Amino acid sequence: MPTSVPQVRFTDERLPNGLRLIIAEDHLAPVVAVNVWYNVGSKHEQPGKTGFAHLFEHVMFQGSKHVAKAEHIALIQAAGGTMNGTTWLDRTNYFETLPSHQVDLGLWLEADRMATLLEALSQENLDNQREVVKNEKRWSYDNRPYGSWQEKLQAHLFPSDHPYHHSTIGSMEDLDAASIEDVSEFFRTYYAPNNAVLSVVGDVDTAAVRASVDRYFGAIPANPSIPSLGDLSLPPTLGGEIREIVHDRVPLPRIYLGFRAPVYGDPRLDALDVAGQILAGGKGSRLHRRLVRDERIAQDVAIFTLGFIGGASICAGWATVRPGVPVERVEAAFHEELERLATEPVSADELARAFALIEADELGSVQRVEERADRLSMYATLFDDPGLINQMLPRYLSVTAEGIRDVAAATFRADNRLVLTYLPEEPPADSAAIDVDAANEADGSDAGDRGRAEADSGEEVAA
Amino acid sequence: MTAQQQERDGFVIAERPAPGTPRPYDFPNVATTRLANGLTVLVADLPGRPLISAVMVLRTGAGDEPAALAGSAVLAARALTEGTERYDAVALTEASERLGASLHAESGWDATTLGVDVPASRLEPALELFAEVLLHPTFPASDVERLRDERLNDLLQAQADPRRRADETYIATIYAPRSAYHRPSAGTRETVEGLTADIARRAYERALDPSRATLVVAGDLGGQDVAAMAERLFGAWTRPAAIVPTDSGVMGVLDAPSSTGRIVRVVHRPGSVQTEIRIGHAGLPRHIPDFHAVSVMSAILGGLFNSRLNMQLREAKGYTYGAGAGFDLRRGAGPFTARAAVNTEVTVPAVIDTLAELQRMRDEPITDTELAAARDFLVGVFPLRFETAGAVVGALAGLAVHGLPIQELIDYRRRIEGVDVAAVGAAARDHLHIDRAAIVLVGDVDAFGEALEAAGLGTLVIDRDEGPHAAGAMPDEAETEAPGPTDADDEHGPTAGAEDPSLPGTSDDPTSADTTSADGGRDG
Repeated sequence: MPTSVPQVRFTDERLPNGLRLIIAEDHLAPVVAVNVWYNVGSKHEQPGKTGFAHLFEHVMFQGSKHVAKAEHIALIQAAGGTMNGTTWLDRTNYFETLPSHQVDLGLWLEADRMATLLEALSQENLDNQREVVKNEKRWSYDNRPYGSWQEKLQAHLFPSDHPYHHSTIGSMEDLDAASIEDVSEFFRTYYAPNNAVLSVVGDVDTAAVRASVDRYFGAIPANPSIPSLGDLSLPPTLGGEIREIVHDRVPLPRIYLGFRAPVYGDPRLDALDVAGQILAGGKGSRLHRRLVRDERIAQDVAIFTLGFIGGASICAGWATVRPGVPVERVEAAFHEELERLATEPVSADELARAFALIEADELGSVQRVEERADRLSMYATLFDDPGLINQMLPRYLSVTAEGIRDVAAATFRADNRLVLTYLPEEPPADSAAIDVDAANEADGSDAGDRGRAEADSGEEVAA
Repeated sequence: MTAQQQERDGFVIAERPAPGTPRPYDFPNVATTRLANGLTVLVADLPGRPLISAVMVLRTGAGDEPAALAGSAVLAARALTEGTERYDAVALTEASERLGASLHAESGWDATTLGVDVPASRLEPALELFAEVLLHPTFPASDVERLRDERLNDLLQAQADPRRRADETYIATIYAPRSAYHRPSAGTRETVEGLTADIARRAYERALDPSRATLVVAGDLGGQDVAAMAERLFGAWTRPAAIVPTDSGVMGVLDAPSSTGRIVRVVHRPGSVQTEIRIGHAGLPRHIPDFHAVSVMSAILGGLFNSRLNMQLREAKGYTYGAGAGFDLRRGAGPFTARAAVNTEVTVPAVIDTLAELQRMRDEPITDTELAAARDFLVGVFPLRFETAGAVVGALAGLAVHGLPIQELIDYRRRIEGVDVAAVGAAARDHLHIDRAAIVLVGDVDAFGEALEAAGLGTLVIDRDEGPHAAGAMPDEAETEAPGPTDADDEHGPTAGAEDPSLPGTSDDPTSADTTSADGGRDG
């Protein structure tokens, strides 16, 4: 491969209070990324408190002792910066990108909320953000065609007592129940310097950043007793096929497939990522070529992995069924392509094309300081190894045809498969809009009937 | 006590840090050449940016097509990479994948673009493929039909998506039926059904004029002579015969507003848990003398996170995940739109609050603090925008679409700094027209219809028909989104509502990638 992605050089140290600090200088542009990962995500939520980690993330923008409500964002924007925060199953992150001479502002703001959030906490602000988050749930899930699929994916692939069973957005009831006391307890438990990684990447001087971080974060006390989640391990497969038919306000049926996959960090998941590129990573991919281009039975296809560190990851995909095409035909073709990958090694040319695209993609991603900082924080938080930032591409490029075949064979099995079939609502609305078939009780004829019903309604809308 | 101890407040430092010394930033140098056939070539060498980006801007788009052929330019762009004289579609895709090159073509209202992103070491072979696609596409009938059918299916999907439904209904409401902007740039069912490979080819040939084209290339060139490559690959390109150059508008009017006055139009969506709100009117073209004042005004109204709309609807009331407003600046007067999705119960109060903020923008002078916040953001964020070759190319392509000089980017920060309170007030009074703003809602009218009627906001039109719909204008393609962390969507999250106030080029980014599949949902 003639091209190589530049190595990221960084320092990696811990403050006495346990805060992990990673600094990578890059003087190409006068910009800097400040990025904090807290080792807490929706998997840490207690029963009855789903959605809380994410609601909490919103509260982190509502002010701290020396920063008023909404002022964090105002200060960053006035400095010419951008910022956000996101919550996911395994973690929560907060990040700013700033003109490099404003790096201390980002550090100071992160320190102030890490130390003093509760001193500004009010019922009014919590209630306000609760409403915002409920509208986020409506906007991103409830009022969106096919919008429930991600929640269903997690609910089916992980058992009800596993912390990945529920989605990050949570439930309306649990959001309603969240109290000021919950916020305080969550903050005191998880928002401690020894549960965080701070990465600073860009046009800065390492010694100066270190001095500023000492000054702003150095006195924040650690929490010596952060509870551990215990054993999240799971059987590698579901142990049976799970099928659900969902009637939704959609004109075209769509099939979602979900599988338990190796945990994030396992090289077999790297192989599955490369497999995803070969299956659906663009116009040259197998699923696109067969379902969309040649047989023209699908409007679009996708397949991808969601990497999680506890128990299992998710590999999922979908195909939107063209009007008039039997749903089961699309599903069968999708399965055939997955099974082909599990039995025949991919060709050398397919693998080379996938590598070239992955490498170019990587080259583009790591150009931005924000992405580099986020990856350093991620690898440090999830794997205690920020150096993975320089190892992931070589890992991808060392995936073999046999490795892809093996992971496909282990993953794309009928007894490890969730099939969600979204069908247009039928005019005489069934009061029970959702049929759940339990594991091992696949009901293909049901899907077929509804598939034809859909085709009719599709034409009505088109008329 | 030492000074440091004095300013300590508990575990933290109370005093806000002062900024350090800014390091100057200049937009990269751009070398401009013009080939004998009229093609303009812009090249920016960006050491340390090894993923090269290249875009050919053809200044003809959906705004140049006759109404009966609406969607032909977009269809042609989608079909452009479906095969060339030397390669069929599969061979073309495979050849480009072997180079790690992603080829993408799009068409918008004002332009058609072909782009490629490729590692620097493979720039030349990638540009050769790019030239083959640009100059020798074959538009195979069968593939054009497939893409046409995909667009028809996409129109079905749009009916079910409240956001797209709102956008389409909004555009069809604020523009007169005779304007191009009344319809989606990718066409309506009626027009798309009639499109063929020949029509797509002719639409593309109309655009294929080197004297109206600009090639933009940026990245770490490492001494590669892009101008020479351009001469070799594009020097012999001539305008297809029988194509008459067009400058604008020959196909009819782009942007005539509808004459309905204040209208409240509701698309009934029974059981909808949110109402999608769109409020506004036909807005502005890109070529206006007060572009910078409009940028600052629109940032304060609905562009920044702390914009008046977002602060009121989200941070004060909790009605929405994000409220914003902005101008879509096109060759003609694109729409001005205020938007939010609110929970059904607060639909009418949210509409009233939005109207009140629009009115207040006209009536009340902004404060010095508001001015500084918007100005400092737009000026300060400038260097952050150009970290990648793709972003530099995007900005230059945006200028090319509108025939603007590079000086426009160089002067941008100084011009923004020159905007004052009076200029913002004038921009609001000149360009916000609350009296003739349309209000378009997609939601459950049974839940709020009575309150809406009582509010007396304008002529009420309720569309209870769930069946087929008139035109609608709109976004090109259904999003097929990869899942990921909550809030990770760039435009949403705790910072939702912060619509990125536009850069000097255009808000209709001609270089945006067309992503239809997801291959990874990994964090980060």
